[in-house]
Amino acid sequence: MAIRSTEIRPILASLRKHRIPALLIVLEIALACAVLCNAVFMISQRVSDIQLPSAIDQQGLVTVSLRGTDDKLVGSDIPRNLAALRGIAGVQQAAVTTSLPLSHNNWGWSFGVSPDSAVANRKNINVSLYFLGEGGGKALGLHVLQGRFFNADEFAGSKFDTAALPETHVVVMTRTAASRFWPGQSALGKTIYSKPFYYTVVGVVDDVLRPNVYTQNTSKSYDAIYFPMSAAGSKGAFSYYILRGAPKDRDRIMREAEQKLAELNPGAVAKGKIYMDIRNDYFADMRSMAWMLVLVCAVMLAVTAFGIVGLTSFWVGQRRRQIGIRRAVGATRGQILGYFRTENFLLSTAGVLIGMLLAFGINLYLMQHYEMSRMPWYYLPAGAVTLWLLGQLAVLGPALRAASVPPVEATRSV
Amino acid sequence: MLKMNHLSKVYRTEVVETYALRDFNIDVKEGEFVAVTGPSGSGKTTFLTIAGLLETFSGGEYHLDGIEVSQLNDNARSKIRNEKIGFIFQAFNLIPDLNVYDNIEVPLRYRGMKGAERKQRIMDSLERVGLSSRAKHYPAELSGGQQQRVAIARALAGSPRLLLADEPTGNLDTQMARGVLELIEDIHRDGATIVMVTHDPELAARAQRNVHIIDGQVVDLSEEPRFHAHAGEAAQGQTL
Repeated sequence: MAIRSTEIRPILASLRKHRIPALLIVLEIALACAVLCNAVFMISQRVSDIQLPSAIDQQGLVTVSLRGTDDKLVGSDIPRNLAALRGIAGVQQAAVTTSLPLSHNNWGWSFGVSPDSAVANRKNINVSLYFLGEGGGKALGLHVLQGRFFNADEFAGSKFDTAALPETHVVVMTRTAASRFWPGQSALGKTIYSKPFYYTVVGVVDDVLRPNVYTQNTSKSYDAIYFPMSAAGSKGAFSYYILRGAPKDRDRIMREAEQKLAELNPGAVAKGKIYMDIRNDYFADMRSMAWMLVLVCAVMLAVTAFGIVGLTSFWVGQRRRQIGIRRAVGATRGQILGYFRTENFLLSTAGVLIGMLLAFGINLYLMQHYEMSRMPWYYLPAGAVTLWLLGQLAVLGPALRAASVPPVEATRSV
Repeated sequence: MLKMNHLSKVYRTEVVETYALRDFNIDVKEGEFVAVTGPSGSGKTTFLTIAGLLETFSGGEYHLDGIEVSQLNDNARSKIRNEKIGFIFQAFNLIPDLNVYDNIEVPLRYRGMKGAERKQRIMDSLERVGLSSRAKHYPAELSGGQQQRVAIARALAGSPRLLLADEPTGNLDTQMARGVLELIEDIHRDGATIVMVTHDPELAARAQRNVHIIDGQVVDLSEEPRFHAHAGEAAQGQTL
């Protein structure tokens, strides 16, 4: 039985006689609507952060960090270690890198496009730096979109020496970083500056996340650039050995890599990790928060539903005789059911109208005080529809009980 | 208009079954004004609730306006109640949350009547019971007599063929009762069939015909004086 528009006026007249309970249920629905809209929006943001794409072979990567080695020997140790790692069955590529996406191990710098750009220049763009050893592009599975990756000479000739940045003058950057430095233009052949350093873009790769992501402005999470780095010139900056293989082999590869590196580097500690675990660890808090918000929504909806069930059951109990009178003068069971469903629809409508305003207000407050993004408009009607449906579902039981009141109830003594 | 043949109504519990009506026979012609009398517990109200399709019966036949009602489903019974029957109860049975106008409108809305026609009928019926000025009042703001007149207006607005009244003046003082009775007589003169349950012999005397119920059966007082001995007894109980 559908919502009965002909019942609206008498229902409103009747509700005027029961203002307080009606108001309470309206406020409960309003609050649920406001919380639901904002919580679902936050959940969707967290979920979208957790699912941020990163154009490396995330599923096939294994990392091993080696602590306790002698920095002076890295020039010889790293090639030896890599040769051993490449010998493990199933390893397709192996290389070293200073950092990994979502590893929290961030090395940031700012560059400009003008030759006089210094590191402190306000117009500069902040980027994360990844220093890769030879074969690093293939080991990570980077997708070159334009230009090329570094050649062997560029790897061999790159070292830190006494400066914080390498002496080589080539760089590869992500698509997002390239479009931020030169919007609408090709970055190939152009140069970024941070006096006295300058680097010419030789390649553009698909977007890879930075070691830390920006949840409020996810596009900034892809501002990353790559430098080549030789083992001898790295001064111990390489933190990770990265090995690429088939996802099914990664557990075995990790164990064997740990074992090999431990054998080759007595006294050092080799600790392996599957890259997806690094990624999952990074988003663990967000995932917990998202689940907590899901719980909040579920509790809020359950409380609202129980509130509606409780109040409607109370009203049905209170109005048994009135229902009997309606049945006596010709109401069908469907019309009684429709009456209570319409009444709930009206209360829910009032609730969701207030709730949508409240949701908008809460979002504005969170935007001003907690750097929350603006909630897209469609969350409001979606929340309203959810509460409407919840209301109709919750009222069904008590309304069916009301519909089963027999007409003879009208003749029973008060 | 209303014909019951060998009708019975049994209330069953786990240990006892009680006959409220037993082998009950009555025939009320179209346009008749019948008063139904009998002692308390004799089955008068049960008869009226079955006649008004407020309750089902256990056995026998009941023809209302030529329709055998035992086979009707709940919706069909509701439709007949709404379109053919008007009720006047001792306790008025108005909806306290609604004002006079809205109370009278309730059955008309269930009939799916258009707003303009509803308004016309409500105003006409209020005019007829002399309460035009009280349309916006709530039941609690009216006297008992006025509330009963609102209930009559609610029944009148639906233009019922059959008006069932259960002790319509039972809660009213003499003057108010007289006014209500005059209204019922008016409705009868307009052609409606009236069945009125009453304790009041004076009221019963105003009807065209009296039907007496004792122990769930219609009796002819003139032919069966022995039933006087049972007057006042409750309906019979039979232990299973």
